[in-house]
Amino acid sequence: MSFLSVEEIIKNYDGVRALNQVSLHVQKGIIKGLIGPNGAGKTTLFHLISGMERPASGKIYFKGTDITSMEPCEISLLGVGRTFQTLQIWGNMTVVENVMAGMHTRIKGGFLSCGLWLPWVKRAEEEALKEAKEILEFLGLLGRWKWLASQLSFGQQKILEMGRAIAMKPELILLDEPAAGLTATEVRQLAERISQIRDSGVTILVVEHHMGMVMEIADEIAVLNNGELIAEGTPDVVRRDSQVIEAYLKSTRADA
Amino acid sequence: MTPWAYIPQLISAGITIGAIYALVGLGFVTIARASQIINFAQGEFVMLGGVITFFLLKRGGLPYPLAALVAVISVVIIGFLLHILVVYPLRKASIPILLMATLGASIFLSSTSGLTFGTLPKALPPFSGNQSLQIGGIFIVPQSLWVLGATFLLLVFLYLLSHRTLLGKAMEASSTDPLGADLLGISRNLMVFLAFGVSAGMGAIAGILITPIFYTSYNAGTMLGLKGFIAAVLGGWGKNSGAILGGFVLGAVESLSVAFIPSGYKDAVAFVILLLILYFRPKGILGSPYIDSRRW
Amino acid sequence: MVDSNQREFRKRDLFYVVPLWFLSLILPDPHLDHRKESRFRWRDLFYLGALLLLPLMWPDTHLHHLMVLAGINAILALGLSLFLGYTGQISLGHAAFFGTGAYTTAILTTRYAFPTLVAFLASALAAAALAYLIGKPILKLKGYFLALATLGFGEIFLVIVRESPNLTGGVIGIFGIPWFSLAGFSFDTYLKQYYLIWGVLIGLLLFSKNLIRSKMGRAFLAVAASEDAASTVGMKVAQIKIGAFVLGAAFAGFAGSLFACVMSTANPEAFSLSLSILIIMMVILGGMGNLYGPIAGAILLTWLVDILGKYQEYSLPIYGLILILLLISFPDGIGTRLNIRLIYLISYWGRKKRRERVEL
Repeated sequence: MSFLSVEEIIKNYDGVRALNQVSLHVQKGIIKGLIGPNGAGKTTLFHLISGMERPASGKIYFKGTDITSMEPCEISLLGVGRTFQTLQIWGNMTVVENVMAGMHTRIKGGFLSCGLWLPWVKRAEEEALKEAKEILEFLGLLGRWKWLASQLSFGQQKILEMGRAIAMKPELILLDEPAAGLTATEVRQLAERISQIRDSGVTILVVEHHMGMVMEIADEIAVLNNGELIAEGTPDVVRRDSQVIEAYLKSTRADA
Repeated sequence: MTPWAYIPQLISAGITIGAIYALVGLGFVTIARASQIINFAQGEFVMLGGVITFFLLKRGGLPYPLAALVAVISVVIIGFLLHILVVYPLRKASIPILLMATLGASIFLSSTSGLTFGTLPKALPPFSGNQSLQIGGIFIVPQSLWVLGATFLLLVFLYLLSHRTLLGKAMEASSTDPLGADLLGISRNLMVFLAFGVSAGMGAIAGILITPIFYTSYNAGTMLGLKGFIAAVLGGWGKNSGAILGGFVLGAVESLSVAFIPSGYKDAVAFVILLLILYFRPKGILGSPYIDSRRW
Repeated sequence: MVDSNQREFRKRDLFYVVPLWFLSLILPDPHLDHRKESRFRWRDLFYLGALLLLPLMWPDTHLHHLMVLAGINAILALGLSLFLGYTGQISLGHAAFFGTGAYTTAILTTRYAFPTLVAFLASALAAAALAYLIGKPILKLKGYFLALATLGFGEIFLVIVRESPNLTGGVIGIFGIPWFSLAGFSFDTYLKQYYLIWGVLIGLLLFSKNLIRSKMGRAFLAVAASEDAASTVGMKVAQIKIGAFVLGAAFAGFAGSLFACVMSTANPEAFSLSLSILIIMMVILGGMGNLYGPIAGAILLTWLVDILGKYQEYSLPIYGLILILLLISFPDGIGTRLNIRLIYLISYWGRKKRRERVEL
């Protein structure tokens, strides 16, 4: 069985079939791109995998475990991180705190022990801070580590969200349009960083409209259109697939 | 007589008060649909309707219908003022602050009423005499029929307003999609302003209707407002039909409870129903477009 | 993340471990204190000094009484600020936990002759337990519905208290609660109670500061800003909300116990919705996301209520009016930059007028 298996998922929203018998497999250690015109159901699939929605039928397996009806925080604890298309960073905390909060489950301590500031809590905090700063350095945000997260630019906030996902040390990360709103330089840096994350052993499933970036970094690509999987394979194969080309030509010009 | 023999009588009393809960609940829903705000001063509109009418009648010497009309207009003006002075300045504030502001307004209105009009309970004369009618073994005060009749008329009015008039449709549009309505030239603030007026008017009318049966006093508004809100949630939050159904159900259950548990607990009944509903079926009896029960 | 070289624990280690731990609580730790309020600044020493010297400089009994009440309100506000100010959830029934604490102490000390210290701890436990029981189902709700449910809970609490004369003395309440006493020392004057209550507050404040700068503080803020994102990083959102709720209730339990020992009586009128509203106002005025602010808000509002009391029947209308005015002028609370707030406000209105004209 693959690392992540989505099998025959059907998802309906008030009579509209958002996903129709979609099956997807992700091998461990690769970057898999998920592309398709707007409204194809990509973010819906992410919501299903991360537990925020339930499918009408079908199953999702992660590392062999059935996660179809698990709660989001249970799925995260299994080792799945994600970012959001609508950007859900915590603007009421500083940049470094956002990353440290991502490490929440890896830091020891409960309410009472934290309130009493027991010695090992203090040590855990120091180590967490160090690690958070290292992550920020990797992302190029170290200079702003004390800034309030809401003061960052949109692109930086997106990168911060990715940093928060990494901080959890997950085995699988779902990236939802990480390049949206980024400048060309930022996109190039993002592509590099995503590759580096993959090299450190994390499997990545990325939804993206930015064709250039996806084609460059993805090991495999899956294409969704109107709730159905229409192509799957290496970037070269997908690029030439006639159904894919037609799907994109048919969709609005506003697509990237 | 066993408690069970009282049931029909209690139910009819319950339906009467239930109509008032329904009207108060409708007031909440009207404002909440326009603006996503819960107006905790809603109960005060009801109280003021009754109190101001009493004042105009007894001290001002105005004839009953005129006193009632002037009272309703005054309360509508108070509703408009509430929007302009309290809600509009805070239109961008967070939920706790809006909540506290309407609570503050509720405190202000109820205590000022006590100050201006006195703290003694006030009763109004019933519309058509005191003689109870007997229908099938149940004694009904004619005022109850007025209450039910007026409630029905108000419902018809609301329905026509929202479905047949341009203004009503504008208010609906503004609540469903504020940005879209705004782009079409429907000012959201104006719609909320009008919603406050409509809710205030409905509340005042409810107050005038109910005061002949259950006398009102300066602090009756708080409980009435809360129970109206509970009624709206019970029936299905966000729907006019939900507020109505919820009002009658709450009124009936509350009234019936007196037969089975000590009367001191009567007020708690509404809150217990609230907690039960919120825990087991937050959507309410008829379901709610605003509440996604999977996320609860 | 435990120290890898395990040493043997010797009894004499206690002599320097305990004071070192205590020092770590109060000494500044700049690289760990990202949140302003968890840092210890020179200003804190000033506050501490002012707190210690205040009653000695003004030997007016009425002031002492007022500051005693303010201290109790400050403990209430501090507890609620963890739930409302940091985790962003609304509770309109907080007075019920205050009442639980007061009645627990009242019953334990008058009927079972428990020492007040034990009753003090038991009160907090009782309030915390009640909060845990209520919190599990209620905290699934959000926004106005949570506010309504907590209000309902508060009302039900009051009704039960009023209707159980055997347990709580009903509407009349319980009398004859002894003064708080510690090892024979009895806190029987307002002055002594002042130091007791503010001492407890400082202890609870230290606890809160530690909580806020640790992972729990971040968890609270995360839940307030985005619950979806919080569950994505593995935070158990329900647990965090319940934790904040229970802590707030425990603080209220402490406050209730002290209140009972100060007033010597406990009756239901003190634990009504108006008190819940007052505490929320203290937190909002003080500023959400702030620990010192709600304490300042508590002092301010206690003084305000006292001043208003002189106006008899006009007090409530003025109170309502002031609430609304304060909310409109200080939606972010007064805990930050009070001194420049007025100037900012005046210039803000000028700028807003200009901006609105441009924006159409």
